Amino acid sequence: MVTGTLTAALLLLAGMAASAGATCEGTRSQPGLSQFYAESWGIDARNTRYQPRSTLSSRNAATLELKWVYGLASTSPRSLPLVSEDTVFVGDGPRGVVALDRETGCERWLYPHDGPISSAIVPAVVGERVAILFNDRRKGIFAIDAGNAELIWNTAIDDQPIPWYSGTALPVGDTLYAPISSVEVAVAMNPLYGCCTTSGGMAAFDLATGEKRWFLPTIPDAPKRTGSHWLFVSKYGPSGAAVWGAPSYDAARNRIYFGTGQNYSHPTTDTSDAIFAVDAASGDVQWHRQFTANDAYTAACNNIELNHPNCPKPTGPDVDFGAPTLLVHAPSGRQLLIAGQKSAEVHGMDPDTGEVIWSRRVGRGGIIGGVHWGLAANESLGLLFVPISDKALEGFPSPGDPAPGLYALDIETGEQRWAYSRASRCDETECVFGLSAAVTAANDVVVIGGMDGMLEVLDANSGTVVWSHDAWREYDAVNGVATQGGAFDTHGAFLADDLLFVVAGYGYVGRQRGGNALLVFQVRGAVE
Amino acid sequence: MSSLEPRGPLASRRRRLLATAIDGILVPALTIVLVMLTDVVEDAEDYVDNVWMFHVLLLAIASYLLLNGYTLWRTQQTLGKRALGIAMVAAAGTTIPWWRLVVVRAPFFAFMYLVVVPPLALLPLIDHLMIFGKGRRCLHDRLAGTVVVRLVPS
Repeated sequence: MVTGTLTAALLLLAGMAASAGATCEGTRSQPGLSQFYAESWGIDARNTRYQPRSTLSSRNAATLELKWVYGLASTSPRSLPLVSEDTVFVGDGPRGVVALDRETGCERWLYPHDGPISSAIVPAVVGERVAILFNDRRKGIFAIDAGNAELIWNTAIDDQPIPWYSGTALPVGDTLYAPISSVEVAVAMNPLYGCCTTSGGMAAFDLATGEKRWFLPTIPDAPKRTGSHWLFVSKYGPSGAAVWGAPSYDAARNRIYFGTGQNYSHPTTDTSDAIFAVDAASGDVQWHRQFTANDAYTAACNNIELNHPNCPKPTGPDVDFGAPTLLVHAPSGRQLLIAGQKSAEVHGMDPDTGEVIWSRRVGRGGIIGGVHWGLAANESLGLLFVPISDKALEGFPSPGDPAPGLYALDIETGEQRWAYSRASRCDETECVFGLSAAVTAANDVVVIGGMDGMLEVLDANSGTVVWSHDAWREYDAVNGVATQGGAFDTHGAFLADDLLFVVAGYGYVGRQRGGNALLVFQVRGAVE
Repeated sequence: MSSLEPRGPLASRRRRLLATAIDGILVPALTIVLVMLTDVVEDAEDYVDNVWMFHVLLLAIASYLLLNGYTLWRTQQTLGKRALGIAMVAAAGTTIPWWRLVVVRAPFFAFMYLVVVPPLALLPLIDHLMIFGKGRRCLHDRLAGTVVVRLVPS
């Protein structure tokens, strides 16, 4: 941890020195704000992760070339960029949020912020100002003026003592919907902590002011003392059912949908590892459906042989719905709500009732996924793209054979159309091939990034690789920061016009290679 | 602190190491007991603004003062030193002012745990490796003006 802090400090100093460099002189500080290439984490409010404004296709992907690289001030960056017509906004580790010239990577402005920026950057109209929103994992949600980087508001909930603002909030109309998880999943590693009392939830805020409108806990019952360990340390439950992913919005029904994680302690509830449909105006639950019952787990279980007192017994498999739900249309016109689970199962549901239309398992599943960060859909092709991590946690049993890769499923039926996988690049843990990061679709391609540092563009119709880039290398960054790539993880790639933006390097979990590179590729032409 | 004249030979390095190990376990053990009794890390609210870290630090200091500070001041022996039959005395045969024990010697007890943090391990290593020099005095002994001797029955 100390090493990481020192590294971050060195990167910060290097970034400060470089930002004063002469190569970016003349860069206009005012970003263009007339169009943004996403309205949410999922590009659209339904979370399809399909980018209609990309020219990347199977015909031109082979001409992708590295355009510029920006060295971030963190080796575990966790921010999905947002792109406007001339600017990319991205979280820059402990520096804050930066607005970069989309053509050159030169800095337009910096919003200084000391804290872990954990979300996608999303645009919103706040009052009469064009704003961008981001999460600090501990301090809540921030709205800043996209033009001049002035803070407009910072909001947080007071319903839970130690919330984690991990998932990206979704602005719809005059309301902001924010998923709420809890630090408690990690605090439980302290054996003297009385596990566990918090509940996940969904919060709605007034977008103009940041004031809370409602908070829906996923566990409505207050926790009670259930026992003790080591004479003095109490145990509590129920708890958990955190909401880790951005909600999806259903304009026709004025609903939001989201998934929950496991319980943190016993007794378990029927709201963990579940999908919720909630009235967007009132926060009333319309329906909820649980897919895995009795799943109780905390980070204290990560090394199961320790028999940690805050690891609930019986111990569950920890198969959250970490990835956001998708509301999609099948080619027949039928609408389905899709949810991918860390168990490697994908479920298609009737959005009216939550009735399961189909379920399919496409991997082994586990604590780091199965489905981890997010799916994508190409509705015109009728395909759902399911990335499978299947990376094992070394101290926790993962029975069965891993099946990492990308799976294309028929949206209507869940039937598998094709699958893509490949061997790991070496025998070390950091070489493990698997897709933890969310995937992104456009035209007839899918962009995937592996935990082994390979970025690939696949033909959406066949799953064949049409382009790849090995990010296990050093880069020359436009801001002069020492920059290296690493594992692809978290939010995945962002597409806009002929550009592909992606963050390379994430060393936060599972012994994988950290890095600090924001890579920008450009399509150079068409291949006949 | 009243000064004792050295009543025996210099304490062996092995006895000093074992005494340090005993103290190094007893102080955090008492801290853990106090943490459990006072509930300062048991509730979710304790983790707001990370105030629990401050509370645990205070309890760790209290544990040190109870187990090591007070006993050194009163008897020139910690529990570990008592178990191994050794004691701290003034090197020059003069009185060691109490503040020198608190300001100079006590921080080195905390530094001892830094040995598990590679970039900061140099300080405790230097401190303890100096025991192989003439007079078997660690850095904290030299700075505090103390020497550790074996107690022999009179």
